[in-house]
Amino acid sequence: MTTMERPVTCTGVADELLAYHLDLVEDDARQAIDEHLLGCQECLRAFLQLKHQARGASELRPGSAARQRLRDEVARTFRPPALARVRAWLARPVPLYQSLAVASAAVLLAVATPGVLRRAASQPPPVAGPRVDTARVTPAAASLY
Amino acid sequence: MPPPDEPDETLYARTRRGDMRAFDTLYARYEGRLFAFLVSLLGHRADAEDAFHETFMRTLSSREVVFDRASFRTWLYRIGRNVALNQLRSRRQQSAAQDEPAASTLAAPVPAPPPDQALEQRETAAALQEALARLPPHLCEVFHLRSSGLSYEEMAEVLEIPTGTLKSRMNLMVTRLKHEMMRR
Repeated sequence: MTTMERPVTCTGVADELLAYHLDLVEDDARQAIDEHLLGCQECLRAFLQLKHQARGASELRPGSAARQRLRDEVARTFRPPALARVRAWLARPVPLYQSLAVASAAVLLAVATPGVLRRAASQPPPVAGPRVDTARVTPAAASLY
Repeated sequence: MPPPDEPDETLYARTRRGDMRAFDTLYARYEGRLFAFLVSLLGHRADAEDAFHETFMRTLSSREVVFDRASFRTWLYRIGRNVALNQLRSRRQQSAAQDEPAASTLAAPVPAPPPDQALEQRETAAALQEALARLPPHLCEVFHLRSSGLSYEEMAEVLEIPTGTLKSRMNLMVTRLKHEMMRR
C-alpha cells in the first residue's frame, strides 16, 4: 500500500519499518527492505524490537477466571442431549490395541467353547457306589435285633 | 486435540455440538488478539473481559452467522466491535444520567505486560502501547485488526466501511503512529 523509492538507506528503511511490519508496503519496497535487513544488523535489531513491541501490544489475555466462566457457559449452553451423548460414546474411536485385545479374546472364546462343551457331554455320569446306611441305631430299633 | 490447522469454521460447528476441545482450540487462537482489540476499544481490562465473554457467546449462539458471506474471524471481530461500541454507548448514557462529564475511557492506558517480563522488555513494549493509546480509537482499532492478520477485505467488512476508506485510514494510522513513537 505504502509506495516508496527503493529504501536502501537506513533512514529510508527505519521510516518504513512499521508499514513493513503491518504488511502495508508494495512488493518491490518489501523486497528492498528484506535485502537491506539481511545485510544491516542495526536495522534488523530495530525491526525485531518493533516486532516485539507490537506483539506485546496485541497479546493481552483475559484472566483465567474469565476464561473458566466462558468455558462453563459454553459447556452448559451447547451440551448435547443425553441420547446424543450416548451415541457419541458408542461411536467414539477405540485404540487399535484395545480392538485387537477384544477380538483375540472373542476368537479364543469361540475356539475353546465347543471343545469344553463336547468334553463335558462325553464324560460318563458318575457311578453310584454301594449305599452305606449311616443312620444311628436307636435303642428301640436295636431291641428288634 | 483437534489438528492445529483445522479451519475456524469446523471448530465453530464442533463447539456448537458441545465439543469442548474444539472450543479450547478456538479460544486459544483468538484470546490474545481479540482481547487486545477489545481493550483498545474499551480501555479497561475488566470491561474488555465482559465484552470478550459476550462476543464469544453471541458469535457461537447467533443464527445470523453465515460463513458464505464472511469468515468466522470476520464475524467474531464484527460482533466484538458491536459489543464494545454498545458498552461505550451505555457507559456514556450512564455518565450523562449521573450528570458527570463523560470520561475519556478510550485514551486510558493499556494494562502493563505481566510482571515476569524483564524491565527492559516491558519498557520497549510500553513504547508502542503508549503511542497506540494516544491514537484516536478509529486508528487504533485499525492497528489491532491488522495485527490480528485480517485482510483489507475482512477489515472493511468488520468496520463496515469501503476498502478505499480503509486504505487511507491505514496510511493515516501508520503516519500518526510513527509520529507518536518518535515523540516519546
